[in-house]
Amino acid sequence: MNGTAALALAPLTRARDALYDLAGTMGQMGIVAARIVLRLVHVDLDGRELLRNLYKMGVKSLPIVVVTALFTGAIMVIQAAPIVQRYGAQGLLGWGAGFGTLREIGPLLTALMISGRVGANNTAELGTMTVTEQIDALRALAIDPVAFLVVPRFIAIVATLFFSTLYADALALFGAAYAGDALIGVEPMTFYNGLVSGLLGIGDVMNGLVKSVIFGIMIGLSSCHFGLSVTGGAPGVGRAVNATVVTSAAGIFVVDYLVSFLLG
Amino acid sequence: MIEIQNLSKSFGHPVLCDVSLVVPMGCLYGLIGPGASGKSVLLKMITGLMRPDTGSVSVDGQNVQALTDIELASFRLKFGMLFQNNALFDFMTVADNIAFPLRRMLEVPEAEIRQRVEERLRAVSLGGFGERAPSGLSGGQKKRVGVARATVTRAPIIFYDEPAAGLDPVTSQKIFDLLRDEQRRAKQTVIMVSSDIDRLLTVTDRIGMMYRGSLVFDGTTDEALHSEDARVKQFVHGLTEGPL
Amino acid sequence: MTDSAFEIERQDSGALAVVGRRAMSLAAAAREQYGVLVRTLYYVARGKMEPGMLAHQMYEIGNRSLFFLTVVMGFIGTILCLQAGIQTKRVVPDLSMLGASYLELLVRDLAASIVALMLATRVGAGIAAEIGSMVVTEQVDALRMCAADPIDYLVKPRFLASIVMTTALTIWSGGVAIVTGTITADVVFQVSPHTFWNLSLVHASDLLICIVKCLAYGAAIPIVSATSGLSTFGGSEGVGWATTRAVVNSSLAVIILNFLISSAGFFAFHGR
Repeated sequence: MNGTAALALAPLTRARDALYDLAGTMGQMGIVAARIVLRLVHVDLDGRELLRNLYKMGVKSLPIVVVTALFTGAIMVIQAAPIVQRYGAQGLLGWGAGFGTLREIGPLLTALMISGRVGANNTAELGTMTVTEQIDALRALAIDPVAFLVVPRFIAIVATLFFSTLYADALALFGAAYAGDALIGVEPMTFYNGLVSGLLGIGDVMNGLVKSVIFGIMIGLSSCHFGLSVTGGAPGVGRAVNATVVTSAAGIFVVDYLVSFLLG
Repeated sequence: MIEIQNLSKSFGHPVLCDVSLVVPMGCLYGLIGPGASGKSVLLKMITGLMRPDTGSVSVDGQNVQALTDIELASFRLKFGMLFQNNALFDFMTVADNIAFPLRRMLEVPEAEIRQRVEERLRAVSLGGFGERAPSGLSGGQKKRVGVARATVTRAPIIFYDEPAAGLDPVTSQKIFDLLRDEQRRAKQTVIMVSSDIDRLLTVTDRIGMMYRGSLVFDGTTDEALHSEDARVKQFVHGLTEGPL
Repeated sequence: MTDSAFEIERQDSGALAVVGRRAMSLAAAAREQYGVLVRTLYYVARGKMEPGMLAHQMYEIGNRSLFFLTVVMGFIGTILCLQAGIQTKRVVPDLSMLGASYLELLVRDLAASIVALMLATRVGAGIAAEIGSMVVTEQVDALRMCAADPIDYLVKPRFLASIVMTTALTIWSGGVAIVTGTITADVVFQVSPHTFWNLSLVHASDLLICIVKCLAYGAAIPIVSATSGLSTFGGSEGVGWATTRAVVNSSLAVIILNFLISSAGFFAFHGR
């Protein structure tokens, strides 16, 4: 095709290439998922690795989750404040902040921050192990790398995301309540009433938690996949971390849309 | 002339311990010692890339530690440096790599830049490699591009950190000879770090040996070869038996 | 600057010491970021600019993120509209103001902040990985030896490119979200595009806040990630860690800046 036509179609070509890449990556991650499920079925799990990863990912991510949740709660109130003031709907602030947090913002932001911290770390670790041939060394010692390394990390990531989301939801609402008081004088009690008034139910909480588990699976799969498939030495590790972080972020939003749509 | 006085540095563990030595002008000084004995750190302190905990370095009477960042930039015009891992800029071609210090540090017109780059490439036997990307070169070729870049500004003081690492014996000898000829011709002050003791000793005027952060020997090449110090003797002659 | 990464702090235990150490390292980190920011601004005014560097960085940040951002913002537009619609219906059956609130929220906060969070991830990781690799292979030292201050040569072009592209990408992404939101409102809630496109709640102050956010986020992300990249240590493994630090810190910076700018905007324009 001649030069100008090619140039005009360049964005489309790039989009097509990106879609191919996406499909390929999805496929590979599916393979990793299958491997993990197989290992889970045989319960060939290293307890110590699991605990170590739970600590490293869950406990050490806590400060970030706390900071993010508190600030996010406050930001949500700031954004909702003009609307509340306009309609004089102080009582609805709790509801407004609540549904946003429980259904969307809580799971989403927690997932993004955890993806950035835990997902990237995980890929960096696995990637470095791959590049320095430690994975091959494990195989040579007749230790199954997927069972020994990947499954504990995967479980730890999903667990981390679940509990972090729970914690972040609570903290964000806490932050929102006090921001509401400080900024527009909505009493914490009013805020609390708005939350439990019956407009929000346990269904909203579960909606958010189901999402968090799915996000966890997403982050776990992508970080393990990119970590183990590193090529090209040290720069390859950097590239893999990059890929994990981007894929997780995009995947989180796509999954969020699908789950929101399906669970209504 | 380079004067180093009581230089010490610690990264939690000591890396340099009270090192003092003088490199006279026009001297080809060989710095030897087992791995991780502080040689590269010493070189970086002379150029101000690292700061010592205590002690001082002065080059031609100028105290390096007293220089501000802006002054350091013009101070470094005196130096050319070959890094241990070449440190070629992987986002530019070979020619741009070699031309970089000319463009950045000196106001050299483009035509002259091209000429000098070509001359350097020919000197290291890489004529015509200008448009290649560094990632496509062999280890030895990268090393030679590094040598070209270090010498293109015709700076009076040059540091070579492992100039022949990973090169075959023939190429190694050629590099050492080339560097020595350049040094004699341009009357450069050179510090050369190398583990290739035999070849290094054929070109050096003076030798300094470092061991675990301390300077254990500083003298002429002849004195090094005939030293009675057990550590120096073992290292210089490559013996397996001894304190090292 | 390379030295500070190696300093080992005395390991006092005890709660106060732990909190104190955290606070001190946070303060040190903030000071370092501030230092990098100041030096970058200095070089914006005084330094040399390599030809083509700025354009290259703008391409890296802008064009390479375009597909990713379009997909994400498309989904966000739909999700936002869906959730807002579902919840509003529980309270008030009339969805005629759905579009108005949607647009207000998008302009005042969401477009800029979500784009920034995505860029913090992608661009932050990219910058830290690039610069980190260069530190580890001594290319940054080589730059210094050739009188090219890494802040001038590496950080400055990325800084300028990021500010420009963050703003451009926010405008583009806002547009994408509006399109998908409009479609969702029509298909799911039967709100016609005409009703949805209600700009009555979008004030000039909202636009101002949006621009300020774009500039602030665009400035913060490269500074934070470049600082992480420049303080890489520990060999090639360290590059992975630097990338992680960059993504987390850039995201946190965006969130904290969001809070600060939103609060300032609230007090300036809505009073108490």
